[in-house]
Amino acid sequence: MSGYTEGILILLCINAIAAMGVSLLTGFTGIFSLGHAAYMALGAYTTAILTVQHDIHWLPAILLGGVVAVAVAYFIGVPTLKLMGDYYAIASIGLGEAIRLILENWQSVTRGARGYPGIDPYTTLPVALAFFVVLAVFMFNLINSRFGRACKACRDDHIASSLLGFHTARIRVLSLMISAFYCGVAGALLGGFLSFIQPVMFDMLKSTELTAVVVFGGLGSMSGSLLGTAVITLVTELFRPISQYRMLIYGAVLVIIMVLRPEGIMGNREFLSWVKAPFRRRA
Amino acid sequence: MRADLRSPSSIRERGDPSLATLIQQIINGLSLGSVYALIAVGYSLVYSILLFSNFAHGGFLVIGGYICYGTLRTFGTGIWMSGALALAGAGLAAVLTERLAYRPIRERTNVTLYLLIASMGMSIVIENIFVIVAGGRFRALPPVIPTAPVNLMGMATTSAFDLLSLVSAVVFLGALQLFLSKTRWGLAIRAAAYDLRTAGLMGVNVNLLISIVFFVAGALAAVGGIFLSVRYTLYPQLGAITIKAFVAAVIGGLGSLPGAVVGSLILGLAEMLTAGFISSQMRDLVVFSMLVVTLLVKPTGLFGKSVSEKV
Repeated sequence: MSGYTEGILILLCINAIAAMGVSLLTGFTGIFSLGHAAYMALGAYTTAILTVQHDIHWLPAILLGGVVAVAVAYFIGVPTLKLMGDYYAIASIGLGEAIRLILENWQSVTRGARGYPGIDPYTTLPVALAFFVVLAVFMFNLINSRFGRACKACRDDHIASSLLGFHTARIRVLSLMISAFYCGVAGALLGGFLSFIQPVMFDMLKSTELTAVVVFGGLGSMSGSLLGTAVITLVTELFRPISQYRMLIYGAVLVIIMVLRPEGIMGNREFLSWVKAPFRRRA
Repeated sequence: MRADLRSPSSIRERGDPSLATLIQQIINGLSLGSVYALIAVGYSLVYSILLFSNFAHGGFLVIGGYICYGTLRTFGTGIWMSGALALAGAGLAAVLTERLAYRPIRERTNVTLYLLIASMGMSIVIENIFVIVAGGRFRALPPVIPTAPVNLMGMATTSAFDLLSLVSAVVFLGALQLFLSKTRWGLAIRAAAYDLRTAGLMGVNVNLLISIVFFVAGALAAVGGIFLSVRYTLYPQLGAITIKAFVAAVIGGLGSLPGAVVGSLILGLAEMLTAGFISSQMRDLVVFSMLVVTLLVKPTGLFGKSVSEKV
């Protein structure tokens, strides 16, 4: 396998992990985020600082990166997710920008806007693939569990689901925390893949891309999100020469999907029913 | 959508921390805040009717700025003519956006998430149309708005531009207030903000009402866009500054127009006082910290109705 192909496959695994996290939040719980790149940044920087400056092994460092993202998600989620409406969406923009600005200005720890070099290249293909498989199995189990059904109930009708006894605010916060963990781990893996991270990599465009992938694949379909990731990651590679039209097409596709087929490519169906079948017995 | 929001006039903002500087920074802050208010009010107006965050709002601001720039440069029209064209153009663009992207969705479903995503798509589309058509470079508006320094009774020095943008914002916001409180359509809009469905049942033409709301929001954004493109120069990502107007609307209370104005003024003052007395780099951080603190302490904002889940 050539280095280029391997690189694309690693990138695919990383993007898929982040997409699964956002899919749980947006597709299954119905909460819109415009700042998930911030959780990736938290994971990436935590892991980079722990491995480079404190000589901690990369595996616990990656998991700690995810935990830091979860802690911040809890802090932001508890006040905003109690409210219906777009409060979390706007808070997530604020969070995304604030974290990027802190990373740019906190020179002594993050080395500022010029980026953080010299990260150990721990993200090899087997590592990325292993993380992807473990997290995917967990996620596919999760969405068919009691918790997953509770998320869908909150998304479809929060009043009815709270009448059924679900603590809707708590479910929304928990869903956000799990999705932040996925994005934190994805960010940490990205740092290990590129050996270099920069605050600009985690700007609002990245957050938009994360959500766009999930919408493109189908809100409420985990395999749709994976398909969306694969399509968009590969198309991005193919269209690199005409990159100035890429974002225009991106935006137009988002609008067209919402107008013509708001359920995305997959709707809320799952693609790999044969993967799902073993887990269905427990439902 | 990232943009460097630091002012090119930051030299003017620094100085000895004295009373004169304080007065000057307060005037600058009110001036900046009043421009935010123009944007935040339009955004809040749309939110109060359709209950979704229109992320394409920043696009209307950019459209207004570019129409003003284009007509000034190519046809040599005066600022009044160009300004009027920019207002009308941005208003029509907003109506068109609603017709093309939002109406098909809201006729089919009442899931506001779909509207939110479509508006995000429209925001990307508008920004990148300008990247492709006009190019990504920074453009300065011809010197149609005076920026000469003005001495205020020997107490402080500020620029004519700051005073002008403050006065214009007050005029436009006053006109909006008159429109909403004195006209039949204003009454209908206030009714729709209370309950769109019931307003429709009372015989209000809901589609026309929504078009009017989008026109007003687009035109107000264009006024903000013209002043911002004088302040920061004009570029396709200028619309990213609406993030601050969203923040202002949340601080004031989502969907509340007085809240949007007060929140904007607070934000403008905080930003300019930080730039003047602490550091120019900290101003954006202060803005977003204020957002987080507001959401932690009083998530519904200063004037917001309680939207907490009650069952």
